[in-house]
Amino acid sequence: MSTQETKPIRTDEIRRMLKKKRAKMKRLLSHCVHCSLCAESCFLYMAHDKDPQYMPSYKVLQSLGKLYRKRGKVDRPFLEHIKGIVWRNCVLCRRCYCPIGIDIPSMITFARTICRSQGVYPRVDESVSESWL
Amino acid sequence: MYEFIRGPMVSISFMIFIIGLLYQAFKFFALTRKKELIFINLPFNPDKPPRKQWFQRVVEWFLSLRKRTVWRVHPVMTGITCIFHISLFITPLFLLGHNILLDEAWGMHFWSFPESFSDGLTWADLLCGAIFLFRRIFVRRVRVITTLYDYIVLLITVAPFLTGTFAYHQWFEYQTVIFLHIVAGEVMFIATPFTKLGHMLFFFFYRFFIGSEYSFGRGTRMW
Repeated sequence: MSTQETKPIRTDEIRRMLKKKRAKMKRLLSHCVHCSLCAESCFLYMAHDKDPQYMPSYKVLQSLGKLYRKRGKVDRPFLEHIKGIVWRNCVLCRRCYCPIGIDIPSMITFARTICRSQGVYPRVDESVSESWL
Repeated sequence: MYEFIRGPMVSISFMIFIIGLLYQAFKFFALTRKKELIFINLPFNPDKPPRKQWFQRVVEWFLSLRKRTVWRVHPVMTGITCIFHISLFITPLFLLGHNILLDEAWGMHFWSFPESFSDGLTWADLLCGAIFLFRRIFVRRVRVITTLYDYIVLLITVAPFLTGTFAYHQWFEYQTVIFLHIVAGEVMFIATPFTKLGHMLFFFFYRFFIGSEYSFGRGTRMW
């Protein structure tokens, strides 16, 4: 087991990071009207037979949205789950289009930053062994 | 109770609506003080010199939206959304009944639509609301991101129109229906600045002021 997998999650640090960007991120999250019109702008959504888990809004709500809802009180399995969403299901190509103008890539980027701060990120040596890739 | 709801409560809810929106706007501009020109929106057709009248340019810009926005991918849904939002905004503003009340209260009023036209707009709004509800329940991609909050927001938005139609056609007991209509309108006023309905204001802020590839204007503000 690598040190990355055993390192404890510092929830206080996650909470500090969430708080720092709260004004922007909470606004963007709260103005998403869950219309799903962003779906077709994601090539992964189109390539995966229109599977809803690849919708930009779904990815944001399931990653950053849940981090805010849980107020940063998360464990490693949860961050590992988010890792799959923000790295496997999103390549940050910035082509997602929100009719309201919500900056979806910045939210995915922030979710990645939080995961990385806790040592949760994809590694080159896990590409064949880990099921999430 | 009825006197309070149709008297002071109207002013209170309207004040909360205005002050709430001003507060949100102030917060937005305070948060996006940093300016940077990263995305430069080139003219849609750079070969043609911009010698046209401003009105013609605005019309061309507006028509170009259907090629570079969600209009192209979802024309029906975008059309329904536009009808819903336009009728949501203009129907209460130019409704004869509201203008008579405004005239009695403040001695001023807006121009009014014919009553049958307002009724048609209200029905259009209710139909669009029903389509949104249908999508939330039956379309999988919408259902997976729908929460109870979305249904509540939809109810807050549609309730004034539903009760307004009942009141106009005098269906059910009029006094109760008109009471519910006033309450529904006030709830919508109060909720707008602090809920998802805030996109009424932030749609324009995000699309015109924030620097983005998809910005409609030459936005330079950064978060």
